[in-house]
Amino acid sequence: MELIQLAVPVLLKGLWVTAALTLVSVLIGFNLGLGLALMRLSSNGLLAGFAKYYSNVFRGTPLLVQIFIFYYGLGEVSLVRDNAVLWWVIRDGSRCAVLALALNTAAYTSEILRGGLMSVPVGLVEAAQACGMSRVLRFRRIEFPLAIRQALPAYGNELILVVKGTSLASTITVLEITGYAKRLMSQTFAIFEIFAIAGLLYLVVNLSLIAIIRLLERFLMRHESQSRQGLSAPRSDESAAVS
Amino acid sequence: MKLKVLTLLACLAGSMGSALAAEGELSIGTEGAYPPWSMSDANGNVTGFDADVGALLCTKLAVTCHFVVQAFDGLIPALKAKRFDVIISGMSITADRKKEINFSVGYAELANMFIAAKGSDLAGITDVDTLLKSLDGKKIGVQAGTTHAHFLEKRAPNADLKTYDTLDQMQIDLASGRIDTAFADQSALQDFLDKPDGKNFQLVGVKIQSTFDPTLGEGIGVGIAQENTELKAKIDKALCELIADGSIGKASQKWFKSDISRPCN
Repeated sequence: MELIQLAVPVLLKGLWVTAALTLVSVLIGFNLGLGLALMRLSSNGLLAGFAKYYSNVFRGTPLLVQIFIFYYGLGEVSLVRDNAVLWWVIRDGSRCAVLALALNTAAYTSEILRGGLMSVPVGLVEAAQACGMSRVLRFRRIEFPLAIRQALPAYGNELILVVKGTSLASTITVLEITGYAKRLMSQTFAIFEIFAIAGLLYLVVNLSLIAIIRLLERFLMRHESQSRQGLSAPRSDESAAVS
Repeated sequence: MKLKVLTLLACLAGSMGSALAAEGELSIGTEGAYPPWSMSDANGNVTGFDADVGALLCTKLAVTCHFVVQAFDGLIPALKAKRFDVIISGMSITADRKKEINFSVGYAELANMFIAAKGSDLAGITDVDTLLKSLDGKKIGVQAGTTHAHFLEKRAPNADLKTYDTLDQMQIDLASGRIDTAFADQSALQDFLDKPDGKNFQLVGVKIQSTFDPTLGEGIGVGIAQENTELKAKIDKALCELIADGSIGKASQKWFKSDISRPCN
């Protein structure tokens, strides 16, 4: 009991850091991933090739190795140390972790979104073209909404992996949940209890993420469930336009 | 049936308790990345002062040594899980650790010091109170789970503490300027100063002895599982003999260029 009183406030401090690491890296990673997915699908061989190799390299190496390369590896390079902007990023453990996590999740996100974009029926795109929609408008109104619907379940998975990936930041001095748990471990030696609480916190975060994704999924798929349940509610204009 | 199970259990318990005596082997948990106390190479060979102490101890006890390399903050949990028989890893004897494991008599003692860049405001400080006060807001590197970390958590609560799994990682960050200062024992810091990376650094001229604060412990001892009282008695006796006949002092001359052995009483 005493232990819980000691550990929980400390681990909750770490929870905010974990949440912040996840949020920032997902924000950066999603946008990068979207860009990479579009590059991969573009007819320009150079862009497509870059996106392909990028995603292969980042998916093919462990996140821990990437974190160590960014933090300890790049920290040794004088070019990085002399450049004010680069050093600002690499100097700080949490910024470095965000960098590695964002670049890593961007690779996975690009593959997930690519799958989603490829699942958009060609007929719909052609129909949009026939209506005279510009490329940007077409992407915004037709391709992206349909792709994200397809990709969401897989992307929810990726979000959970990012949350769990943040625990590796503890190896580069960042005090998030795992970092604080390790510190508490050497203070109290109550390893089982401390890490059980830490695990529970991750579980709570991930279960809420799963719930949010499911809600979002239901919201995006609302036309489907209506037609499946045979409800006679009128379809909204928006969903009628795309289906 | 019940009797059979009981006999089996008794045999198991017996074999576990006397594993050391039966096999004539002492497995020693050590960090392997804390020069000059213990260093391990890629082949798993362990060298350093702790390796020598272990070897002397094994010769005295007429057993063979077997080293297990493990990160420092995991040593006590691993000992409790019976992954090895003893810890010889420059581990200070502290009240907190004594709640978890037993210790032999202290066999060595070192001063604890700070290191800072030459010419920095910390480098010129000569008394301990000014030093502790000026740590506020500073980024201090310290190794996870050490007495140094506990000391700073207590005496420098406003400092920005960066904890590292190994000293090597701390040295990299010290060299790259990510941290303002680091706190460790004198020998570990001297090891850094002797490297090319350490040429712009110096020790802060304040030696903090373990008598200054109880979190710093009572010298360095061999960690032994609490229930293993028989082994503790053997090790205490052997260590006292080794300290008395100067063997440990000689080993410390080799690694520290001074005698850091702690008289046995």
